[in-house]
Amino acid sequence: MSNLKHLKEEWKAVFSCMGCGDCGYAIRPAVGRYLTCPVKEAKGEEGFEIYFSRGRMNILKSLLEGKIPLSKELAKWVYQCSECGNCTEVCHMTHNENIILPTCNWIDHVKVWDALRKDLIEAGFAPLDRHENLVDYMNDDQMKNPYGEEKVKKFEWTGEFPWIKDRGEFVFFSGCTMPLRQVDTLKNMMKILQVAGKDIAMSKDEWCCGSIALRIGDEKSVLDLLKHNVEEFRKMGTKTLFTACAGCYRTWKKDYPELLGEALPFEVKHITEILIDMLNDNEIPFKAEEGEKLKVTYHDPCHLGRHMDLYEIPREVIAQIPGVELVEMKRNRKNAWCCGAGGGVKSQFPDLAKDISKERIREAIESGADILTTSCPFCTGNMNDAYKEMGPEVQERIKLIDIIDLIASKI
Amino acid sequence: MSDLFNKLEKIVSDKYISNDIYVRHAYSRNVDIVLQGVPDIVIRPKDAQEISEILKVANEENITVIPRGAGICEFGGSKPIGDNGIVLDMKRMDNILNLDEENLIVTVEAGISWGKLNEYLCHFGLYTGSMGPGSGMSASIGGGISHHSVGGGGCAKYGACTNQLTSLEVVLPTGEIIETGSQANKYSKFPFNRFGNGPDLAGLFCGDNGIYGVKTKISLQVFPKPEYAEYKTFQLPRREREVSAKILNEIRHRGIDVYDAMYIMDLLVRLTTQERLMPMWNQLKKKRGVIFYTIEANTEVELDEKVKLLDKIMLDNKTEYLGSEISDGNIAKWHYTEQGHWQFYHNLWGIFPSMQPLTAECFCPIKTYPKIMNDIDQWDMEHDEEMRKIFDVAGSRPIAGSGPIVLIDGNNVEITCGFTSFSSYVDGKIHEFIDNLNLSLWKSLLERVTKQGVQWYMMGEFMSRLMVDIGAYSEEFYTLMKSIKKTIDPNMILSRGKFNFWGDK
Repeated sequence: MSNLKHLKEEWKAVFSCMGCGDCGYAIRPAVGRYLTCPVKEAKGEEGFEIYFSRGRMNILKSLLEGKIPLSKELAKWVYQCSECGNCTEVCHMTHNENIILPTCNWIDHVKVWDALRKDLIEAGFAPLDRHENLVDYMNDDQMKNPYGEEKVKKFEWTGEFPWIKDRGEFVFFSGCTMPLRQVDTLKNMMKILQVAGKDIAMSKDEWCCGSIALRIGDEKSVLDLLKHNVEEFRKMGTKTLFTACAGCYRTWKKDYPELLGEALPFEVKHITEILIDMLNDNEIPFKAEEGEKLKVTYHDPCHLGRHMDLYEIPREVIAQIPGVELVEMKRNRKNAWCCGAGGGVKSQFPDLAKDISKERIREAIESGADILTTSCPFCTGNMNDAYKEMGPEVQERIKLIDIIDLIASKI
Repeated sequence: MSDLFNKLEKIVSDKYISNDIYVRHAYSRNVDIVLQGVPDIVIRPKDAQEISEILKVANEENITVIPRGAGICEFGGSKPIGDNGIVLDMKRMDNILNLDEENLIVTVEAGISWGKLNEYLCHFGLYTGSMGPGSGMSASIGGGISHHSVGGGGCAKYGACTNQLTSLEVVLPTGEIIETGSQANKYSKFPFNRFGNGPDLAGLFCGDNGIYGVKTKISLQVFPKPEYAEYKTFQLPRREREVSAKILNEIRHRGIDVYDAMYIMDLLVRLTTQERLMPMWNQLKKKRGVIFYTIEANTEVELDEKVKLLDKIMLDNKTEYLGSEISDGNIAKWHYTEQGHWQFYHNLWGIFPSMQPLTAECFCPIKTYPKIMNDIDQWDMEHDEEMRKIFDVAGSRPIAGSGPIVLIDGNNVEITCGFTSFSSYVDGKIHEFIDNLNLSLWKSLLERVTKQGVQWYMMGEFMSRLMVDIGAYSEEFYTLMKSIKKTIDPNMILSRGKFNFWGDK
């Protein structure tokens, strides 16, 4: 039986939730707010309040008051949440810097959900079966990635890029999803960097960043990975570590320093932060563009946007691509709809994750865009799975590509 | 219980019913820190027919049914009183059924929010006028009609949202489905007027706090949204309560159809700037209260004329104009142009950890509110010792007071009065005495305000029972209300315990 150690640390957040229900129902067109919880909406008519934050906060109050216990059954509800943080946005939302809501001071929903997940893990009610497999793979010495692939497979693609160094100041962290599931995008990224003359180093002994374990609340499983990775990149002489994965970015930039209790010995950047510098310095040799501009809309990955406040740079990147016009979806930036993959939903509840993505793809079509792009391999992968199921009617109206591939197509 | 569950499951199918302990706890609270009631079953019906069947089963099994819109009642109205019953989650019924553009009437299912409906209407240049309660971004239309809600914008011009009601479809506690107003005539093709065909039976269900029937289909008059609007905020001089009341009174007496007018008292200005929540008011040298108006017009000339009249009233009363931008302190602009009217009240929630208001909302004539506010201050001083007991645990002292004073229809205002207090759960410990103190102080303050002659509208569990407990109802009124209840709900199935009809104090 857990003593709710982690949840107790979040009591201020739990009991500061008034129960207004905006995290379930808010629609406020004047500020671009059209509903909040992707899970509740994907559940449609079956959307009991347990699927969104207010209902969950009510359960947490009862847990802390000792009225109900933790259990495996609770875990099955709890992990049906992508931890997108949209509930936090609506909870704090005024959309005006002159008016601040007091809930900003106390309530960080994702932190609360993480605390609950940690307690569920420590009490033995989690991880759920598929999550357990991922963590096992991630910690397997022959793998060190959650996809169950052999370690060497993650680096096979580097054979095409012999110029990548073993040591250096500007170092790439590849993560697991891109090299194991979207390797063409990764290769495109390297070609862009190569053509711009960038000097890149990489470790062939990087391990999974541990994002998946952190998101399901298994902090202990991450500590070895963290220590190994930080030490590995420190030894390489890293001054800037960059990654093309929004999940890795959040983990390196936010979670690692928090877990270590100190700043990392190098800076961490997302690929879009690198690309914008390259574009501003005219380092990317685009081919001449003719004809009508392609309309492109950008999906904000939660781990980049709401979790890390990186909204404008990807847009600035898109705006500088020749022959492209950026159009916005109805819900963008802080109001952006999640793709549904995060928080362990993709692995444990894949159909739910796809249902959420389908709504996002339909929204992209409504924007009038020809292309839906994003800057997270996890979002790309999940949206692609949904896209494939949506059939030709959708596929003829919009294409889905990573921001890196979009740039590569113009070189 | 399982027999009951099986009967209900047959009505809605297994996807829309739950007796899972966690689902039940998710529905066990509303917007307050002391009242909890865990239902036995939560059910999400799809239409009036299903609700009718559910109510028939509930009568057979003698189990209470509690309708719940968006669950935002501040007084425990949309959860059971005690641990029992069936919560009827109406949010599955959130569709727009028809927009009659010619007759300017929209018909919706009761679970739809004011936000969703107005988002739809804006594509036709229309709005609901009165935008429901202050929580209208999420609150349901059915809940608004059940409470005569005001506060979400537009109630100075259009009044409580029930003023717009044209027709209701209601499932009675025994399962019969009725339609009111023009729809009482079976030959009427569409809802067009609330009154006639006998008494205004829709009125029976307006503000009934969910005791007489379950609203399922609602027809509202809608309005073209005027093209022009102005919104200005002013700081008040000394004796701000009396001056603000004088201003609101003058607006009414000059017949100016303000869309909204609101007085926000010095305590709120001081507290919210002190806690760095309102940067727009940082520059105010004196942290006095503010007053704002919003006004709409169909032409620029009409707007200018109205603005001149309003500004004259404001400036003649020695208020100080704060400037046109939100950053100048013009909260009226945020309120109107950014739909802040649906979020203004959030500023008072959680200023300190777990601090939440224990309030109730009432109507009173403009001229009486300064006295009521002064009396609330007096009450606060009289209960300082009890408040300090909470301070000793929570680290902050509860504060009694009133929320913003909102001009509504007639020569009346809405007052939100109560006190902000703290949850009994503090840093891993439950201090039960705080719950008890919260309840007794809440009762004491609301009794005091009731005796000033106010009119409560959203009453829920707490206020509806308190009115009876303190003997505030005239005997004749309460007897009639009770006899209607007995007639249409002989087993007291619907919202059992509200208004204390069974005398189970």
